[in-house]
Amino acid sequence: MTPVIALSLFGIINLFLGFTFKRQSLQVVTLLFIICSMALTAMDWNHEYLWFGDMMKTNNLSINFSLIIQLAGLLVVAFSNGFGKDEVYTQPAEYYAILLFSLVGALLMVSFQNLIMLFVGLEILSVAMYVLTGSDKRNLRSNEAALKYFLMGSFATGFLLFGIALVYGSTRSLYISGILYNLSHTAPESLPSFLYAGIILMGIGLLFKISAAPFHFWTPDVYEGAPTIFTMFMSTVVKTAGFAAIYHILDVTFGGFQKNWIITVYFITIITLILGNISAAYQQSAKRMLAFSSISHAGYMLLTVCANQPSTSSNILYYSLAYTLATAVSFAVLMVVAEYQTGRTEKPENFDALNGLAKNNPSLAFAFTVALLSLAGIPLTAGFWGKFFVFTDMFNKNLTYPIIIAVLMSAVGIYYYFKGIISVYFNSGEIEKIETSFLFKIALWSACIGTLVLGIYPTLLKSIF
Amino acid sequence: MSSILFIPLLPLIGFLINGLSFPKLSNPVAGIIGTIPPLAAFALSLQLFLQFDGNTQIVPLLDWISVGELSIPIAFQIDQLSLLMLLIITGVGTLIHVYSSAYMSHDEGFGKFFAFLNLFVFFMLLLVMGSGFVTLFIGWEGVGLCSYLLIGFWNKKNSYGDAARKAFIMNRIGDLGFLIGIFLLFQEFGTATYQEVFEAIKAGNGSNLGLIAFCLFIGAMGKSAQIPLFTWLPDAMAGPTPVSALIHAATMVTAGIYMVIRANVLFEMSPEVLHFVGWIGLATALLGAAIGLFQNDIKKVLAYSTVSQLGYMFMGLGASAYTASFFHVMTHAFFKALLFLGAGSVIHAMSDEQDIRKMGGLKSQLPITYITFLLGTIAIAGIPPFAGFFSKDEILAHLYHHDIVMWALAIVGSALTSFYMFRVFIVTFHGDFRGTQHQADHLHESPIAMTLPLIVLAVLSVIGGIINLPAFVGGNEFLAHWLNPILPEGSHEALEVHFASLEFLAPLAAAFIPAIFAIQLYGSKKAVPAADAEISGIQKIIYDKFYIDEAYNFLFVKPIQFLSQFFYSFIDFLIIDLLVESTGKFVKSSSNELRKLQSGNIGFYIFMMVAAIAIILAWTLKSWIF
Repeated sequence: MTPVIALSLFGIINLFLGFTFKRQSLQVVTLLFIICSMALTAMDWNHEYLWFGDMMKTNNLSINFSLIIQLAGLLVVAFSNGFGKDEVYTQPAEYYAILLFSLVGALLMVSFQNLIMLFVGLEILSVAMYVLTGSDKRNLRSNEAALKYFLMGSFATGFLLFGIALVYGSTRSLYISGILYNLSHTAPESLPSFLYAGIILMGIGLLFKISAAPFHFWTPDVYEGAPTIFTMFMSTVVKTAGFAAIYHILDVTFGGFQKNWIITVYFITIITLILGNISAAYQQSAKRMLAFSSISHAGYMLLTVCANQPSTSSNILYYSLAYTLATAVSFAVLMVVAEYQTGRTEKPENFDALNGLAKNNPSLAFAFTVALLSLAGIPLTAGFWGKFFVFTDMFNKNLTYPIIIAVLMSAVGIYYYFKGIISVYFNSGEIEKIETSFLFKIALWSACIGTLVLGIYPTLLKSIF
Repeated sequence: MSSILFIPLLPLIGFLINGLSFPKLSNPVAGIIGTIPPLAAFALSLQLFLQFDGNTQIVPLLDWISVGELSIPIAFQIDQLSLLMLLIITGVGTLIHVYSSAYMSHDEGFGKFFAFLNLFVFFMLLLVMGSGFVTLFIGWEGVGLCSYLLIGFWNKKNSYGDAARKAFIMNRIGDLGFLIGIFLLFQEFGTATYQEVFEAIKAGNGSNLGLIAFCLFIGAMGKSAQIPLFTWLPDAMAGPTPVSALIHAATMVTAGIYMVIRANVLFEMSPEVLHFVGWIGLATALLGAAIGLFQNDIKKVLAYSTVSQLGYMFMGLGASAYTASFFHVMTHAFFKALLFLGAGSVIHAMSDEQDIRKMGGLKSQLPITYITFLLGTIAIAGIPPFAGFFSKDEILAHLYHHDIVMWALAIVGSALTSFYMFRVFIVTFHGDFRGTQHQADHLHESPIAMTLPLIVLAVLSVIGGIINLPAFVGGNEFLAHWLNPILPEGSHEALEVHFASLEFLAPLAAAFIPAIFAIQLYGSKKAVPAADAEISGIQKIIYDKFYIDEAYNFLFVKPIQFLSQFFYSFIDFLIIDLLVESTGKFVKSSSNELRKLQSGNIGFYIFMMVAAIAIILAWTLKSWIF
C-alpha cells in the first residue's frame, strides 16, 4: 500500500511546487512521481499484504489493476502538455495534484477489503473528477457538466451507501471476509430480503460510475463538457477502477448469489450495448461519439462479469488495458486537433474538424486510426483480443444470445469508428502540421505500439494476468 | 540459442533501418546496411552447421496464441534440412545483395530495394526455420508479399504492376489449398508442429492423410510454379534481375520442394498423391522446356528453364528420391542464380536490352560474364562433371527404377534443356553484334561487385556436385548421409549404375547431342532467331507459350468477370445493397430517436434512473413483495 501513501504525499508536494515551478517542469515531475509509485506498486508482486487494520489487501490481481490505472494516469499527464500556455486561467499544479489524489482513490477501489474503503475510494475519485470536470471555469458547458456530474454522482453515491448499509445490516460486517464468513454460516432461507436489495443497490452505485445504461445519462453531457484531457482521465481511470470494484463485489463477494443479480445485470448489459452503440451512430461530434463508445465498451466488459468464469478477472484486465491505450490515444489526437481548429471552424470537436488530417500529420492520423481500429475490435489490435476473450467467456457459459447482440453491436461500432478514419484519410481538408511536444509523441507512440503488440501477441500479457 | 535467434533477426533489423530511413540514407550506406545482415546470418549459419551434432534442436520463441485447446507456439527447428536451406539462402542471398549494390546503383529506389530484399531474406529464413506449419505459413505468405513488392518494384510501368498482381493472385490460389491443409492438420491432430504431427502419423494416427497431403501440395504448386499455376513465374521477370535470381530461381520457388521434403512422412503415407506430384512435375518439366525452346527474351528463357527444373525436382519427389531432389535444389540454386546474374550483367551492359536477337558477339567485351555464363550453361545442360549433371542424373536414375515411361520423357526434357540453353548462350555471346551503334559504344564488362558473385557462383556450379558424389565414381554421398535422419527409412538406396548401360548413356546423349546441334545451328551457321512477324507454324504456337495465358483468360478470367458482373448488377445491387442500406438506415433512424433521450434535462435523467432502480428492486424482491 506504499503507493497510496506515496501518491498522497506527491500530490501535496505538487501543490507546493506550483509556487516555483514552470508548468512544463511540473509535468515532468508529476510523470516521475507516477513512475515512482508504479515501481512501488510492482515491488509487491507475488506477495499478499493486508493494510490499515485489514481494510486493504494487495495481491497480484490488485497490483495489475493498480498498474493499469497508473499507466492511464501516466498517459494522461504525458498528453496534458502542461495544460497549455494560458497562465491566468489554468492552474497546472492543482490539476496535477488532483489527478494524483484521484489516483489514490482509484487504488483504494481496486484493493479494498472493507466496504467503507470502497466508499472512501469512490468518493476520493469522484469528488476529484467533479472538480476537474468544471476546471474550465469560463466555459458554460464545463460548468454545466460539473454540476450535472455532481448531482447525479451524489445520487449514485447515496445508493451505494444505502446498499452498504443494507448489506451490513444483514451480514453484520463491513469486511469482505466477514461478509463471506457470515453468509456461509447462515442458511439461505434465513437471510433477510433486504440483503438482496443491498447487493442490487451497491451494484447500481458502481454501475453508475462505469456508465452502464440506464444510469449512463450523465456520460455524454459530462464527457463533452469537460476539458478533453480530463475526459480522457475519466474514461480510462474511472472505468478501470469501477470495473475492478464491480468484479470484486459482484463476482468475488456475492458470486454465490449470482442467481439473484444475474438477470438484472444481464438486462443492464444488453441495454447498455444497444443504447451505447446505436446512439453513437448518429453523433456528429467525435468527442460525443467517444462518450457513447465508452458506454458501449462498458457493455462488453459487463458481459464477462455476467459470465463469471475463472478467466473473468484476467479478461477484464486485458480489456481495460486495450481500452485504456486506445481511448487515451484517440482523445489525445482529438484534443490537439480541436485545439488547432478552435477559432478556425465552428465546432472543433466534430468529425469534420478532422478532415484531411493525414495529409500533413501522418503520424497523428496513423495513431488515431490504430486506436479506432482497436476500439472497433479489428484483428491485429489489442481491442480484437479483448472482445475475443470476453466472447469466449460468454460462450463457455453457454450465453449465446448476448453474444449475438454483442457481435451485431460491434458491427454498428465499425460504422461510427470508421467515420473517424474516413475523415482523417479520405475527406479533404486543410490542416497544417500540428506541433506536439516530445512527451506527447512518446506517449502516443508507446500507446500505439502497445496496442499493436498486444494485438499481435496477446499471450505476452495474458500469461501474467 | 541466442545465435539462432539472430539469424532471422538481423535481416529484419536491416529491413527496419533501410525501410524507415529511406530515402534519407545515401546509396552506399544503404547498400552496406542491407548487405551486412545476410552476410552475418551466413556466418552464424555456417557456425551452426559446423557445430551441429546430429540432434534436432528446437528453440522455443514464444507462445503465440493459446485459446482453449488450440495452442500455436512459434519456435525454430534446427536440423539437417533447415541448416542446409539456411546456408543456401544466406549464402546465395549475400552474393546477390553484393551484386545488387552495383546493379541497382543508378536506381532512385535503391534503399527501398535493399529493405525489401532484407525483408524477403527474413521471411525466407522464418519459412525454413519454423518448427511447424504455421510458422512455415507465415514465412510462406511473407515471401509472397516480398515477391509481389519486388516484381512490381518499377511500378511506374503498368505491365509490371500487372505481373506483380498476377504472381500474387496465382499464389493466393495455391495458398488457399495450403491453408486448408493446415486446418485439416489441426482438425486431425490438434497441432501443426512438425514433430508432433509426424510422430502421430508414424504411430498410425490420423485419417484423411491423402487429402491433407494433396492440399499442401496445391500450396507447393502455386509457390513453386507447377502446372497449372506456373504462368506467374515467367511474368515475374518484370522485377529487377537480382530479384529473379534470388527469389524466382534460387530460394522462394524451391519452398514447395522444401515443404514436401519436410513433410515426407505425410507424403509417404499417401502414395497416390506422390504419384500425382511426380506426373505434375514431369508435365511441368516438359512444358517449361518446350516453351523455352523458342523464347527470345534472355530472362524469359531462364524463367521457363526454372519452371522446367522445378518440375524435375517434383519428379524426384514423386519417386521418393528426396535426397536427389534436394541435391538438385542446391545445385540449381548455384547455376540458376549464376545464369540470372550473368543475364543481368549482359542486360546491364546492353543498356536494358533483353532480346537476344539484338545481342551477339558479346564474348570479347564481357569476358568474365561470358566464361561464367558458359559454365552455368554446361552445368544446367547436365554435362559431366559439372554440378547439374550429378543432381539431375541422380533424379533420372531414381526415375529409371521408379517408372520407365517417366524416365524416358524426362530424358526428352533434358535434351530440350540442353538445346535451349546452348541456343541462348551462342546467340548472345557469339556471332556478330546486332544491336544499335549507341549500345555498341557503351558495351562494358560489369564492375567487380557484379563479377565477383558470378565467379563464386561459377565455381560452385562447377564443383557443387561433390557434395553428393555417388559411390560408383568414388564419392562419399555426403548429402545422402547428412539428410538420412530426417528421411523415411530405406528411401535412400545406393543405386548401382553401370557405365555402359542405357541408364547411364541416355542422359549423356541427351546433354551432348542437342548442345552440339545448337552450336552447329546458331554458331557455325550463324543463324539468328527470326523476327516476331516471321515466326509461323508450330514454332509460333510454342513462341506464344501454347496460348496458355490466353486459355486461362478465356476459361477462368472471363467467366469470373462475367459472374462478378452478374453478381454486381443483380445480387449486389438489388439484394445486398438494399438489405445493408435499409439496415443502416434503420440503425441511423433509431439512433436519431434514441438521441432524443439525451435531452440534457437533469430532472429527466434522474427520473429515468430512479424509475429503473424501482423496477429492478421490484423485480429482485418480487417473491417477498407479492
